[in-house]
Amino acid sequence: MLRKSFNLSRFGQLCGLRRLQNTQAAPAVTPESEAEDISVIEQRILKHPDYFQVHNLFTVRDLFNARVHYGHKEGSLDDRMRPYIYGNRLGHLIFDLDKTASHLRDALNIVAHIAFRDGIILFFNRNALNAHMVEQKAREAGEFSHTRFWRGGIFTNANVQFGAVTRLPDLCIFLNTQNNVLTQHTAVRDAAKMAIPTVGIVDSNCNPNLITYPVPGNDDSPAAVELYCNLFKEAILRGKCKRRELLGLPRLDEEALKSKVHGKRTK
Amino acid sequence: MALRVLGLNLIKNNINLLQNACRINATSTTQAPYCNQVTVHAAPAAVQKQKVSKAMKAYLERARENDEFMKTQDLDFQIGKRHLANMMGADPETFTQQDIDDAISYLFPSGLFDKRARPAMKSPDEVFPARKAAEFDETGRPFHSMFYTGKPNFFQLLHDIVEETNKLYDLEERMLRRGNKPDENQKIEMAGFQMLPKDQLEVKLVETIADIEYSNFVSSMERLIASPFSYKSKNFIERYLKPLIDQSKQLEVPKPKIDEQGRQYITTYECLRKTARADVTVRMPGTGKININGKDISYFDVEQCREQLLFPLQFSGLLGKVDVEANVAGGGSSGQSGAIRWGIAMSLRSFVDQEMIESMRLAGLLTRDYRRRERKKFGQEGARRKYTWKKR
Repeated sequence: MLRKSFNLSRFGQLCGLRRLQNTQAAPAVTPESEAEDISVIEQRILKHPDYFQVHNLFTVRDLFNARVHYGHKEGSLDDRMRPYIYGNRLGHLIFDLDKTASHLRDALNIVAHIAFRDGIILFFNRNALNAHMVEQKAREAGEFSHTRFWRGGIFTNANVQFGAVTRLPDLCIFLNTQNNVLTQHTAVRDAAKMAIPTVGIVDSNCNPNLITYPVPGNDDSPAAVELYCNLFKEAILRGKCKRRELLGLPRLDEEALKSKVHGKRTK
Repeated sequence: MALRVLGLNLIKNNINLLQNACRINATSTTQAPYCNQVTVHAAPAAVQKQKVSKAMKAYLERARENDEFMKTQDLDFQIGKRHLANMMGADPETFTQQDIDDAISYLFPSGLFDKRARPAMKSPDEVFPARKAAEFDETGRPFHSMFYTGKPNFFQLLHDIVEETNKLYDLEERMLRRGNKPDENQKIEMAGFQMLPKDQLEVKLVETIADIEYSNFVSSMERLIASPFSYKSKNFIERYLKPLIDQSKQLEVPKPKIDEQGRQYITTYECLRKTARADVTVRMPGTGKININGKDISYFDVEQCREQLLFPLQFSGLLGKVDVEANVAGGGSSGQSGAIRWGIAMSLRSFVDQEMIESMRLAGLLTRDYRRRERKKFGQEGARRKYTWKKR
């Protein structure tokens, strides 16, 4: 399996190189022409397979190091997760990281696109161990987080809940989709009701059916969750960065964001 | 590297992850072509139509309505004020809020018990709650990162507490490795403090919080305070502590003064029981003289009242060793004797040791008796007693 992942990462790099050239060619057309409406650009970049270069954010080796491949025990497998399982070892399920990687890249791509379109992105996590980190990363990305008890109706009855007309998020990222081992997070259902697209890390005991972009992987280990958070944050920042650049806006607050991030890391 | 790390502790993993994260960052800056390619064009490559979200439109509409409403209310208030001033024969231009209150209480005398239930006339700014400021920008994007939790300030507070706690844990570990120990002298004293009560916390956060959320707040604050280096985040912690002034003041024993004959004395004012009110002076040393409104203990005819007076003296073993002077008014004999008893007990604190004070407190001598006469109810003979009633 290790060898397999090596192959894939090399393959990814190759692909990346090719795509890199593609992207360099794609926006080169714009500078001479007149400034066009951003919505036209939004439509055009959708045709590009990986406009924000999210594939180079991680390798399968990174996933492995962050322990993304660990699933739950064999008995707790949800049948709908069967296609993403590589096998089991000592009674524990192991995810097929190649499949995880491709799903994660799709998810990162959509995250970057939504961030590019000024979408509101809401991070979810009901695991108390990781809640603080998730809140922090969401803040660093300039986005939103909800890691607490979910009061019913925040999406479905928002105008009453917030006492005013409220804009709902445009994308929900679930770093785990379960409240506890038995029940699914109600926001998964509510987001589906309100037609809000979702990205979700689904562990081997989760139901991926209502998640728009499921990513099979370990949703419990702090290491894995930190990796996901960093990846999503980076994808978001890429999307936002690109938009500001196209609109000719100053990158000041972006810089402030980054310097804050670095400040925290060096500490 | 990572494989080696797998089995080790969390900190190592974090370091590993940090490196990962840095690597991600590095790749983003070096490999992503567009980030380096930023050339500042005179004209941007794209333009954006200014969109105003539904949420902002609704908010602006509400704000406009609110402003109009407040304007009409203010106009009404000004007219009412002028009428009132004319009625009272005062100058309407210099009619203040105090004048309004006086005029209202003169023109509409009210016997209602609750002051808030009485007629009043106030500026509409005071009467109507202030309009909530918008919590989002023109595009409808909220300002606060935890807006969707519904209680962003409270959850931000919990987040900050954890942030502080984590900082202290890091510090503790570094200090342990260096062999430094926490400074015992700087330790945070919780003796005279309590956690900010729920209602005050709600005022501070401008949010209503549930009981369980408040208990979460308390337990995470306790965890923060329990850390051996908690004095490092003293500034943060003290924002959520409240000093226990009232109780500590009560515990403070006044120092006796010296009168012209060189005797120590202490006077306790406002000794209250039922409707009686007394002030009591205890002089030490004395011969056990008791002086109540110019009479001796025979001021009280009832034996129980006399016993009441003597009880604190006897309890503290100072019977016959101090002189007592009391002025008492109001109430009946039992109320008056109770008031004096409390006054004597409170005064004696200055002449006995700490242990005796504690046992006097436990005996209930230092506790104010708040019981009042219970009213008679109609359909009953008294407060509780019912009329005699036979079924047939």
